[in-house]
Amino acid sequence: MAQKELKVAFFLAWRSLVRGNRSSVLLNILIIGMVFTNMMFFPSLMAGIGVDIKDQIVSYQTSNIMIGPASGEQYITDIETTLAKINRLPGVERATPHYQTGATLQSRGRLIPATIGAIQPREEQYVSPLHTTMIAGSYLGESDVGEAIIGVSLAGSPNIREEDEVRPSLGGVRVGDSIQVEYPNGVEKEYRLKGIFQTGNFEMDNRMIVSWEDMQDVVGEPLTFAPYITVRVKPGYSESFVKNEILRYGVREQVQTTDDLLNKEIGRVMASFSIIGFISMIVSLVIAVVVLFIVVMVKTINNRRQIGILKAIGVEQSVIMNSYGFQVVLLSIAGILVGFLFTGLIVLYMTYYPMVTPEFSATPYVTPLDLAVNGIILFLASVISGYLPAWKVSRENIRQVLQA
Amino acid sequence: MIEIKNLIKTFGRGQAEVKALDGVSLEIEKGEFVGIMGPSGSGKTTLLHLLGLLDDPSSGTIRIDGIDVCRLTDWERTMFRLYKLGYVFQDYALVPELTVKENICLPAMLRRDREEKEYTAATRDILHSIGLWERRDHLQSELSGGQQQRVAIARAIVNTPDILFADEPCANLDTENSRMVLELFRKINRERGQTIVMVSHEDWHTEYFDRVVRLKDGKLVNGAAQAAAEPKAAALKENAMGNPLNYSGMGIGIEADGS
Ligand SMILES: Nc1ncnc2c1ncn2[C@@H]1O[C@H](COP(=O)(O)OP(=O)(O)O)[C@@H](O)[C@H]1O
Ligand SMILES: [Mg+2]
Repeated sequence: MAQKELKVAFFLAWRSLVRGNRSSVLLNILIIGMVFTNMMFFPSLMAGIGVDIKDQIVSYQTSNIMIGPASGEQYITDIETTLAKINRLPGVERATPHYQTGATLQSRGRLIPATIGAIQPREEQYVSPLHTTMIAGSYLGESDVGEAIIGVSLAGSPNIREEDEVRPSLGGVRVGDSIQVEYPNGVEKEYRLKGIFQTGNFEMDNRMIVSWEDMQDVVGEPLTFAPYITVRVKPGYSESFVKNEILRYGVREQVQTTDDLLNKEIGRVMASFSIIGFISMIVSLVIAVVVLFIVVMVKTINNRRQIGILKAIGVEQSVIMNSYGFQVVLLSIAGILVGFLFTGLIVLYMTYYPMVTPEFSATPYVTPLDLAVNGIILFLASVISGYLPAWKVSRENIRQVLQA
Repeated sequence: MIEIKNLIKTFGRGQAEVKALDGVSLEIEKGEFVGIMGPSGSGKTTLLHLLGLLDDPSSGTIRIDGIDVCRLTDWERTMFRLYKLGYVFQDYALVPELTVKENICLPAMLRRDREEKEYTAATRDILHSIGLWERRDHLQSELSGGQQQRVAIARAIVNTPDILFADEPCANLDTENSRMVLELFRKINRERGQTIVMVSHEDWHTEYFDRVVRLKDGKLVNGAAQAAAEPKAAALKENAMGNPLNYSGMGIGIEADGS
């Protein structure tokens, strides 16, 4: 097909779109835009949930790299030396030890089990944004003993009755209240509530946190050992690079990046998310294909006589087919651009009003690659579904078409 | 120019079979303005469709310029229509989304042998001569029936076809507009030697035709006028040898638009 023919086909297509039925053109563009948005929305929300979960885990649980005891051991021993060694490595922002234990908490007549974590409050600020999440009272000081901060879920609310709670809480304790704690080793201790934090991370918000100093009192000996160390990586360094550094400098403990951990822990969840996302994309595509097929079908059926006349005056079949094909091409390009706009608006909206559940707070996560790939897939699907009826009608016998 | 022999066209099968054309033989000379007449259902449209390569005969042959057109492939027929034939329909059949000018240009845009400059000039000249230059940027919906039909004729002659076919071009027009269209045909015929085959069932149209071919029930009733028309047709033949692309000297002019 030569340039002249393509030019005429495009000319006919353009005129038909611009001078034809406005509202039908706008409706078609809108439908394609909606289909694109639909293709993008669910998978990107799933991706957004994944990103949020990873973000939470990095911020409040494992940081970028988690170092656990060598196999067969219960603790990392001699943390002083290990921390010093790691903190000297390039790419390491800070490494901090973590200790945790179960305990029974008692306040306002409620008695509930909870996890208590011990941190080095000053060092922890370099590793976790916990100190920025205080919603009442204040963060722990380095040598605070007999004082604790707790997560907002564990603190609970006075408005929810104990039997209605999904997860037990302390029924709305406030800063300054006292909490009785009984540790598994028999130690009983009274804490003054220094602050309440809200991280959005389910695990963290159900915890009580005390200082390293305080935990030494509970354990009854200097805490030179820890069940795990978390390492924050400097911006610009990759987790795996720092992991290799740590291994190279003779740390014999188990070293895992967040990705290593995530692949094990929630890898399967993410896999099923992406299957759901894929199914939703296929459904959207089928809708697009069917809609466009019908749109072009109706167009060509309504224009059968017109098509016959064009053929009668010497317009080639391929020019007629392409004139309808180009209309679909133009409609889908416009529709996909509208889809970009819709998707952008949804992302913008959900940045301010994310979808919040106890486990995550999600905003659709959209990359330019996602936009491009989905755009191309929708474009190809539309063009095929538009060309098919155009090809069919352009092949019909002229006399039959003329008499339509 | 056109030579048809024993043309038969049937529609349907068995009990429902209709013989739309039943053994029609006919010759049409270059430069003739032939009217095909006959009552409704006599096969006029069918004959014109066959001549315009819009349909295939059941049997018989059609030769145009010595070419057996029934043997052409689909694509060759399309090219034949584009390069050699012009067709005017009863209902104008303009493209509603194109302006007057664009409608006229359309067949010329597809010709490999015509430059844009060439056909815009031709379109301009035709527009002047049909008296619609002022309306060149109007859409079909903004024109009267007579104006639309003149645009359709302009579109049919923009490629200077060898033969112009018209199927009841005046059927939807009042007498005044019909005359205008017929005058236009006559002028194209006289001044350019344009061969025209026109279907009509109005007896008063015969005054414009060189020759009348009458059909009844798919059969030719008379075509005897051919002999009388022949000398004139021969004279016109020479006229037609002139530069077919040059419209400026054509003088097919219609005075200020009355419709
Ligand atoms: N596609 C068709 N199928 C069946 N019969 C047809 C078809 N086209 C025309 N005919 C029949 O052929 C005959 C001639 O039709 P036509 O050429 O349209 O007549 P005219 O143009 O002289 O009015 C009529 O009897 C008509 O019913
Ligand atoms: Mg008819």
